[in-house]
Amino acid sequence: MDFLPFLLVQCLNALSQAALLFFLGVGLTLIFGIMRIVNFAHGTFYMLGAFLGYSAAHLSGSFWFALIAGPIIAGGVGAAFEIGLLRPLYRRGDSAFLMVTFGLTLVLGDITRLLWGVDPLQISLPNALGAIVFLFDEPFPTYRLFLAAAGIIVAVAIWQFLERTRLGLLIRATSQNAEMVHALGVNVNLVRSGIFGIGCGLAALGGVLAAPMVTASLGMAGNAIIDAFVIVIIGGMGSFLGSLLAAVLVAFVQVFGTYYFPDFALAAMYLLMLLVLMIRPGGLLGKEI
Amino acid sequence: MRGLVIAAILLAAAPLGLPPFATTLLTEALILGLLAMSLDLMVGYTRLISFGHAAAYGLGAYACGDLLIHTRLPLPFAIFLSASITGIVGIGVAWVCTLAKGVSFSMLTLAFAQLLYAIAFKWTAVTGASDGLAGIPRRVGPFGLTQFQTRNGYYYLVLGCLLGAYAFCRVLVRSPFGAVLRGIRENEPKTISLGYNTRLCKIAIVAISFMLGGLSGALYAPFAGFANTDLLFWLFSGQVLIMVIVGGQGTLLGPIVGAAFFMLLEHVLSQYTDSWALFFGLIFIGFITFAPDGIWGLFRRRVRI
Amino acid sequence: MALLELDGLTKRYGGLTAVNGVAMRVEAGEVRAVIGPNGAGKTSLFHLITGVVPATSGDVRFDGNSLNRMSSYRRCQTGLSRTFQLTSLFSEMTARENCRVAAQARLRGRWQPWGGTQIFREAAARGDEALERLGLTAIAGRSAGLLSHGDQRLLEVAMALSQRPRVLLLDEPTQGLSVEETITAVETLAGLLVDGKLTVLLVEHDMEVVFRLAQKITVMHRGSVIADDVPSVVRRDPAVQAAYLGGYA
Repeated sequence: MDFLPFLLVQCLNALSQAALLFFLGVGLTLIFGIMRIVNFAHGTFYMLGAFLGYSAAHLSGSFWFALIAGPIIAGGVGAAFEIGLLRPLYRRGDSAFLMVTFGLTLVLGDITRLLWGVDPLQISLPNALGAIVFLFDEPFPTYRLFLAAAGIIVAVAIWQFLERTRLGLLIRATSQNAEMVHALGVNVNLVRSGIFGIGCGLAALGGVLAAPMVTASLGMAGNAIIDAFVIVIIGGMGSFLGSLLAAVLVAFVQVFGTYYFPDFALAAMYLLMLLVLMIRPGGLLGKEI
Repeated sequence: MRGLVIAAILLAAAPLGLPPFATTLLTEALILGLLAMSLDLMVGYTRLISFGHAAAYGLGAYACGDLLIHTRLPLPFAIFLSASITGIVGIGVAWVCTLAKGVSFSMLTLAFAQLLYAIAFKWTAVTGASDGLAGIPRRVGPFGLTQFQTRNGYYYLVLGCLLGAYAFCRVLVRSPFGAVLRGIRENEPKTISLGYNTRLCKIAIVAISFMLGGLSGALYAPFAGFANTDLLFWLFSGQVLIMVIVGGQGTLLGPIVGAAFFMLLEHVLSQYTDSWALFFGLIFIGFITFAPDGIWGLFRRRVRI
Repeated sequence: MALLELDGLTKRYGGLTAVNGVAMRVEAGEVRAVIGPNGAGKTSLFHLITGVVPATSGDVRFDGNSLNRMSSYRRCQTGLSRTFQLTSLFSEMTARENCRVAAQARLRGRWQPWGGTQIFREAAARGDEALERLGLTAIAGRSAGLLSHGDQRLLEVAMALSQRPRVLLLDEPTQGLSVEETITAVETLAGLLVDGKLTVLLVEHDMEVVFRLAQKITVMHRGSVIADDVPSVVRRDPAVQAAYLGGYA
């Protein structure tokens, strides 16, 4: 293959990978930005989304239905958790949240195992998405194109939501000064639960979308949480654009790293993180510490 | 202090009265207790919440395994050398991780442990990849000593290391250096403004914590006879943190109790169910929410009232 | 030669100039107040002197040595002790322990990872002395987080004092205090300064406090120094009156 077509195909690959990473990172960063909570269970919601998506697709026979049902159910679980367990901890330090959500990781992970078993599960795609297209005479899975498009659509949608809508304004206001918003007569607790639910739902959406490529498995949670952490560290904790930028950067490093240095692809991601941290300890678009 | 002496005597007498399988279980509990205590230096005394302490354990275990398999070093020397190596690696880890503060620090420790996990899968020559290192011998020596090869002898080696490490930690946290750690725990910006180089201080305590964690891993490798990637797994890091919190952070002894508690719990639970993670998680959430001072804290509150 | 010298000290945040070419000489034994309306750059000036934020340009010299390249903690070690605008303590330690940790920072062997009885004793002695000078001996055994706000502010001064500083930097020591608490605090501080041995740089809002304590006043407005003299002159300066004092004098 010539260099230019190769480059374009790899870039598309990277973009589809970036979309998945973005779904993972953006929920985590939204939750942190607004609530100052690091949700350790984020990777578990990603995994939960994949399993829920499998069941929804299996029962309804429609991947599209799974794409909607999985995130909504996972988001509901997340919101319920926020109301039941996180709310009583708001007067405690950051680390209490980190540890409680770690406890949730164990509990949810085990419940998932009890409900779905230990074997990986495959979600089948509708014909339109399962096909192969030819780009520069090279076969390329349609699904990857779909992923890249989905990533762009969701990123734009979230951005417009935060910038343009009344609710988005409320969310940004809550992240800056929760007490003030509370004083203005807004139910801050409701906003927080909602955000936590939406964040978890976004992770689950990523999970449903990833499942057809990597199958739904219990091991997803661990890898996902590390990826998500790396993305928010690189992008800057709480920065929406930062998570987008970091997802793209990490995806390109992963894709091209795997091609050129297959043995060090994983280390490349960490080296990137180290480099960013040394130059800007708060992340690319984060506040300086 | 009197309670401590009694506990030490009871532990020293334990192998004489216990059935062999219980001695083995107790040995493992003490090894894990040492690991949890080493993490307590970071979590309880400096408020550096590490989600990657399995890295220290795994490093120590692999280092010790390789030393015992590939060299003729006597057992205790291999163990102490492994602990030192882990401590030196710990300096590097600490240097990177302390670039960040608060929850970012926690994330970095996790990422670092995960990096080692990935390396352990690739670096077959040193780690045996997914098979791990098997058949790690308890080598004779020094001076032809064979006592450490027996079950009880190894138990006493572990107990000795634990008591020594406890004495070391106790002196450390009560020293002027320990007072600075406490300052960092409560208010780091203020500690800096008083003229302390807190970054250096944090690097030192992370390295010491790694060294003791490495000691614990180094004790585990010849005890179990193998070392594999499970020792570096991120869930294991979390479990050690759970032991520290549930046992009682900032008390040194509490985490040892916590480790023993979870060993026992796992042993009992595994006879009835394979959902140990579920129970671990629920117990942990319960402690964080209702008893952040852990078992040790509950016990002390009882005694005071 | 002045003990603390600032020259052309400037800090820009993007387009905003928080501190603009500030020059100042603080002689040993002098009590100097820095005043100015909100946003005049007083606290930023403190941050620049103590190195919490790096200066965009300009010099800070202490006892003839440049501090420009020193990190925050090193500047403290040379003998600059400060308090914070928002009280910053070790709230789970007792008042005595707070002062002990502060004093320890200036002792040989402050890092020592073993023993330390001797170091603790020396540090505690210095701390107790500082607590006594601020009239806090009675509450020395109480947990710092449980003290009244007024006592907390004084405790922070005691911590700085137990470091035996060569220059004491006080950032609004009466901030947030009630009228009675302010009077107590000011009289306590005035008592400290009676013997003229302490060099103090004081940021303050409350004019009563400034005129009671300071021998010299530097007035800042929008990041720049607009007046620098003894209180009686500053009081009559028309530019100062326009910028800040209003009808006070």
